[in-house]
Amino acid sequence: MTTSLLVLIVLALGVGGYIVGRARALRGVGGDQRKLHSLPSYYGTNVAMKAIVPALLVMLVWLLAQPLVVESSVRGDLQEESVRQDRSVSLMMSDVRRLANGLDVAVESGMMTRERAANMRTEFTDVRERLGEAGVALGSAVTSPVLRAAQKYRALSETGDLLRTGIVLALAVAGLGWGIRNSTPEYRARNVVETGVRILLILASCIAILTTVGIVLSLVFNTIEFFRIYPASDFFFSTTWSPSFGGGSELGILPLLWGTLYISLIALIVAVPVGLFTAIYLSEYASKRVRSVAKPAIEILAGIPTIVYGLFALLTIGPLLLSVFGDSTVGWMDAGTAVMTAGIAMGIMLIPFVSSLSDDIINAVPQAMRDGSYGLGATQSETIKQVILPAALPGIVGAVLLAASRAIGETMIVVLGAGAAARLSLNPFEAMTTVTAKIVSQLTGDSDFGSPEALVAFALGMTLFVVTLGLNVLALYIVRKYREQYE
Amino acid sequence: MYDADHNRTESRVSQNEIKISSRNVQVYYGDNHAIKDVDVDIEDRLVTAFIGPSGCGKSTFLRCLNRMNDTIPICRVEGDIHIDGEDIYDKRVDPVQLRAKVGMVFQKPNPFPKSIYDNVAYGPKIHGLAKNKSELDDIVERALKRAAIWDEVKDRLDASGTGLSGGQQQRLCIARAVATEPEVLLMDEPCSALDPIATGQVEELIDELKQNYSVVIVTHSMQQAARVSQKTAFFHLGNLVEYGETEKIFTNPQDSRTESYITGRIG
Ligand SMILES: Nc1ncnc2c1ncn2[C@@H]1O[C@H](COP(=O)(O)OP(=O)(O)O)[C@@H](O)[C@H]1O
Ligand SMILES: [Mg+2]
Repeated sequence: MTTSLLVLIVLALGVGGYIVGRARALRGVGGDQRKLHSLPSYYGTNVAMKAIVPALLVMLVWLLAQPLVVESSVRGDLQEESVRQDRSVSLMMSDVRRLANGLDVAVESGMMTRERAANMRTEFTDVRERLGEAGVALGSAVTSPVLRAAQKYRALSETGDLLRTGIVLALAVAGLGWGIRNSTPEYRARNVVETGVRILLILASCIAILTTVGIVLSLVFNTIEFFRIYPASDFFFSTTWSPSFGGGSELGILPLLWGTLYISLIALIVAVPVGLFTAIYLSEYASKRVRSVAKPAIEILAGIPTIVYGLFALLTIGPLLLSVFGDSTVGWMDAGTAVMTAGIAMGIMLIPFVSSLSDDIINAVPQAMRDGSYGLGATQSETIKQVILPAALPGIVGAVLLAASRAIGETMIVVLGAGAAARLSLNPFEAMTTVTAKIVSQLTGDSDFGSPEALVAFALGMTLFVVTLGLNVLALYIVRKYREQYE
Repeated sequence: MYDADHNRTESRVSQNEIKISSRNVQVYYGDNHAIKDVDVDIEDRLVTAFIGPSGCGKSTFLRCLNRMNDTIPICRVEGDIHIDGEDIYDKRVDPVQLRAKVGMVFQKPNPFPKSIYDNVAYGPKIHGLAKNKSELDDIVERALKRAAIWDEVKDRLDASGTGLSGGQQQRLCIARAVATEPEVLLMDEPCSALDPIATGQVEELIDELKQNYSVVIVTHSMQQAARVSQKTAFFHLGNLVEYGETEKIFTNPQDSRTESYITGRIG
């Protein structure tokens, strides 16, 4: 039975349970709804909940766990063979998986009986040829252990599927029965549904948290793996970045970190004054009409995908800078891709971010502060400079830090605008690259996930994660502190 | 009673010194006609109280006197207001200069999130009243002393103004207003956010301030009006109903609306 059919059956049981539970509760009081403890729909929901939720949860867990269990069991069998053949177990495992899939296809299309698929021996049949007839292409000849492993794989999966269907259905029916028996007038269905809803919400938040933990753990484990085969001191303190997949790479993070910080700095130099002045104008000077047009217009900038900014950098900013600083004039710049190009594009991207955060913060400064200042005979700009900005400063600093952490994590603009050369240089018109861009380039293409050249991506990601996390925590701390000031 | 008598003689002496005079003043918030035909002469060196039910326009009229209404886009003021014979709504008058001369203290204490010193020094600095640091120190000290808060804060001038208690904050705000050497001090319900002890301190202060300034105070408390003011104006629905000696307003009101209000029948 396919999974989707199973889900449909469980859901149908739930709907049926809803109707039956509701009806049974009403029948218990002779149709007089007021004598029930809860509204009739709560009794229905109670039954549906008990029928659906445990069954689907078990199914979900089973679906996740079954492949792991099956694989580890098959893997154990292959251990010996892998030593003999001098091939890694994972490579053999992918052969096994491919073969098992092939057998599935062959059985389904009627080319092969189930028994035959389960009992074939390489000694008597050319498996590769037989499968080829069924339209399944296999790369290499099938060896006997692989075939046996594939057959075991299929057998285990099949039993697992059968068991799963049985258990899930049994759970659904049991839940249904339990719920219906509960549907008596004095049963507190409303409270039970309330608890159920609460558990659902808790589960949802657990998923969010667990995913985060999972991401961090996968980063951490891969990073540890990397540091096992590559010295951490070289990674953190070497000033050269020259990966070569043939071996003998130098993987120093410093040039990348420098590129990241340099480009982010330029982006902030562009974004902070423009964004802040925009926010001041909009919140203090602009009339309602101007504000109602200008604010959405600026926020459109925030909706542009970063790849578009990247294109803008590549096609417009780069050539423009080249024509001003290139060989034809001062000769500081050799090509359109440079720190400056990416930095300016990124700065433009951050303007709406800085301006709308600062606008909120400036608006949060109480009107009483402005009145107090005007009442002493201060002009508008004196009031802004000496009262509003100092009062809003912590919040603005928080906004800038948040913008900085976005700049540090930005990838596409860098890939298109800054070039790919890892370099430690002070000249902003030279091409450089960032941590994020190098993570992309280390993991694209055919990479062997056991090599330091690929694993370094996780160490880079981890470093970046720590830096941006630190910035975000600092920013939130500052912003929160500032909020307290007026509460 | 002795005090009231004393005040009356004093006010008679200064009878001719009209500080602020308004004629035919109308204020509109959009279509809402908030102040109607207000004529009033406010005298120098005494305390004038504005009383009346909520929403009758006391704050609005007070804010006309230093053109704070200019900061509200939908607000429109018509009519004449003269201070020392000069039309303050004349085009040549800079509202910013005017507000240095007509100081204001607000309902809720609103010290800036700066040090106590900087709060008081703010006005003198932007108006260039001090030539150097020691002169500024003097101004700050004098203002804090005049606001009767010097003894409490002299050891912590660098502490934040927002860390003071409510009554101290309000006196700090008064010091801040006094520091720019105004001639008129407008106070919009300065005690409504304060406890009785702090209220007493501020009232005492107001009584002293009238020796140098013309003080206009909006208050909700009739006892307060009776305690601190020599003249009282009663507003109702945007009209100035009655204006005269405080004692007369409270003991022998001419208008039936005034009588109803002070006896608690409208409010
Ligand atoms: N900023 C404003 N915008 C619009 N209407 C206002 C504003 N301030 C006051 N008003 C209106 O003006 C009238 C008088 O208000 P106000 O002067 O604050 O009264 P009071 O201080 O006597 O309680 C009220 O009807 C109020 O709704
Ligand atoms: Mg008011």
